[in-house]
Amino acid sequence: MRATNVRKINFSNTVAYLDLSQAITGIFLCLFMLTHTLLVFSIIFGEKCFNKVALFFESTGLAWSSGIFLTIIFLFHFLLTARKIPFSFTEQAKFWSQAKMINHQDTWLWLVQVLTGIVILLFGSIHIWVILNDLPITALKSKHLMQKGGWVYFYVLFLFSVAFHLGLGLYRIGVKWGFITSQNRLKSKKYLFILVGTLIMIDSISLLFFYF
Amino acid sequence: MSRILEINIFRYNPEDPASVPRMQTYYLEETPNLNLFIALNRLKEEQDPSLMFDFCCRAAICGACAMVINGKPQLACKTKTKDFPNQINLMPLPGFKLIGDLCVDTGSWFRIMNEKLEAWVHTNKEFDPEAEEERMENSLAEQIYELDRCIECGCCIAACATAQMRSGFLGAVALNRIARFILDPRDKRSEQQYFEIIGTDQGIFGCMGLLACEDICPKNIPLQDQLGYLRKKMGVLAVKNYLFWKKRS
Ligand code: SF4
Ligand code: SF4
Ligand code: FES
Repeated sequence: MRATNVRKINFSNTVAYLDLSQAITGIFLCLFMLTHTLLVFSIIFGEKCFNKVALFFESTGLAWSSGIFLTIIFLFHFLLTARKIPFSFTEQAKFWSQAKMINHQDTWLWLVQVLTGIVILLFGSIHIWVILNDLPITALKSKHLMQKGGWVYFYVLFLFSVAFHLGLGLYRIGVKWGFITSQNRLKSKKYLFILVGTLIMIDSISLLFFYF
Repeated sequence: MSRILEINIFRYNPEDPASVPRMQTYYLEETPNLNLFIALNRLKEEQDPSLMFDFCCRAAICGACAMVINGKPQLACKTKTKDFPNQINLMPLPGFKLIGDLCVDTGSWFRIMNEKLEAWVHTNKEFDPEAEEERMENSLAEQIYELDRCIECGCCIAACATAQMRSGFLGAVALNRIARFILDPRDKRSEQQYFEIIGTDQGIFGCMGLLACEDICPKNIPLQDQLGYLRKKMGVLAVKNYLFWKKRS
């Protein structure tokens, strides 16, 4: 067959852009999360320090503007990734039986990623709503919140979900886009799990400071 | 004393209205170096002539004997029973049409796949039967050969949760094949033409990076690296298309 005879299929770049945006919004949210973790961590240097940091974001208008901006990216990221989530029951059943059959770590981890993603969508929306509706952020208010009812449990679950989703997401982006190759796959996985552990540790310390 | 193996085999004959899908247990004494090719043939000869399964080369080069062995899609002829516990469960490959028991029709699937990819060398050159074959760097030939070793056994499709969930998904075997043609200088297709085949949700952008294909492929084809390479290449091309289109308008 001649090269010129190749039939033109209805073609568009859209899927590529969607996939690319999924990765880019993901990386962006990861960077945000890391910054967020460090900012909240300022509580260990005392309430004053935390309040100062919060005040800076308040006075410059960054708190609400970045809040809204991030919410949009956050929802956008959800919409993009939702294209991959099995919503129909047949697909879910197939995935489940497949995961059980081959019992393969990376396949299970994908399920973890979907589930943590759903937790984040739900809890993240609540978290953003609660915080943005009660600006300015102060250490005292956060402490009150933390010591009230079941909020600690809420944040512990939220924290674990975010950390795992972030680590697994980065791993998946690396694999899919060829940054993680078969050569460095195991090593990259190890480093990303260390990152997840570190995140959980730092955030737990902050949580403890708010709780007591 | 040698072990007595308990081999549980999926039995179902779609042609026979009286047949119901079930697992049937057979017992077999293990011999030194026993592989599943011999084991199944012994069962068929000595115990149950109605047992259906496929074999051809018995040397891991034809891909006919792929089945799910204790949960993992593998080649039966390449699988030694001594690497397994006493109990071995055999199921047909999921995702393909069942012919009976352990036999599935991978052929039709691969035919359709290869037609979709137009998996042949596309060239403008008139074929001259008299001419000497064109030369190619040895290292390049080896690179192509590395990807061409795929035996179309279907294990990567059976292992891939994406392929199982979404039946139109091309799967690692197809994407690897495109990577092979991209390498081949005799194939004159442009990047854009490759993009039209795999730059979709059924192609490279549908792959979720679960890497079961990489971990399971019995020929150890470097699938992960081909998938990463293709996604990067196709992603960059899409961005280029965007910039180009911007410039033109
Ligand atoms: S890529 Fe590997 S697992 Fe897939 S069909 Fe080819 S040889 Fe089989
Ligand atoms: S990486 Fe995963 S989703 Fe992609 S082809 Fe391989 S098994 Fe399927
Ligand atoms: S019989 Fe040919 S690959 Fe097993």
